[in-house]
Amino acid sequence: MTDSPLSSLGAKVVVASSSDENHPPENIIDGNTNTFWMSTGMFPQEFIIRFAEPTNLSSLTVDSYNVKHLKVEKNMSQNASQFEFVTEKDCEHTEGHLQSNSVSLNGGSAVHLRFIITTGHDHFVSVHRVGVQH
Amino acid sequence: MVKLRARCLLVGDAAVGKSALSHVFHSDGTLFQKNYSMTTGVELLLKCVNIPETNDSVELYIIDSAGKETLVEACEKMWGEPSLLCLVFDLTSEQSFANCSRWMERVRAHSRGLHVPGVLVGNKSDLSPRREVEASVAQEWAQSQGLEYHETSAREMENCDAPLLSLARAFQSLYRERQEAIQNLSPG
Repeated sequence: MTDSPLSSLGAKVVVASSSDENHPPENIIDGNTNTFWMSTGMFPQEFIIRFAEPTNLSSLTVDSYNVKHLKVEKNMSQNASQFEFVTEKDCEHTEGHLQSNSVSLNGGSAVHLRFIITTGHDHFVSVHRVGVQH
Repeated sequence: MVKLRARCLLVGDAAVGKSALSHVFHSDGTLFQKNYSMTTGVELLLKCVNIPETNDSVELYIIDSAGKETLVEACEKMWGEPSLLCLVFDLTSEQSFANCSRWMERVRAHSRGLHVPGVLVGNKSDLSPRREVEASVAQEWAQSQGLEYHETSAREMENCDAPLLSLARAFQSLYRERQEAIQNLSPG
């Protein structure tokens, strides 16, 4: 188990399908749920996290708002391509507080993790933190 | 600075001028299609609207969908989940205005209970001698549906920017509103 922010472990968000300079994708991996990345309209939305090296993962926690369906993919390549499906999850709507979902990854390592938000409970969604448990 | 993206549904009866309007939108008021050719499916047009006095812009993915009754059902499958609505009628056709409530029902069925900001557009304002729908009546109905009302002439390229700008502004203010709500959330 670890609670260090992903960014301090050398992880980076290398792709994000929306950008608002006030809410950059780096906010997803800074470990702080007060800062967030926000989608700017339409679905699907996605972001890809790259780890500094192949990382063993047992599960993830995703803190978000208004996400309705989340799909997670991973790869072991240095390129952000050729992903394999890992899991998908329906997320309940929460009123006035963040959604906190844990996603089991069944072990195995990854260099990239790809998160696809196929649909939301509203026009816009936000992602506040992604944390990993090793 | 932010670039928003919105799926904008363009609907209304056949021959009210949806495609003509969308081509005027798309060409920034330089192109009016003189020859009528009925849209039988769905046409996608991409138009970026800058919101004046801000650095924000909205990319509109305009879904121009056939208005002819027999084609509607097939087209509805391609509507997806709309972010914005542009409902058009012909100012010289009372019937096309009366049918607007049917169009609203159809759009609502696709919006999953979400609020979809929109505009009502009375087109063909250049044909004033043949006008059948009074501005005040259209305005009142628009208001009752939460739509902003505009009159345009695609042929004269008159006022065609107004509905787009109004849609872009509505989407931007929805975004700002949601952003503020998210900022005030408590942790999960």
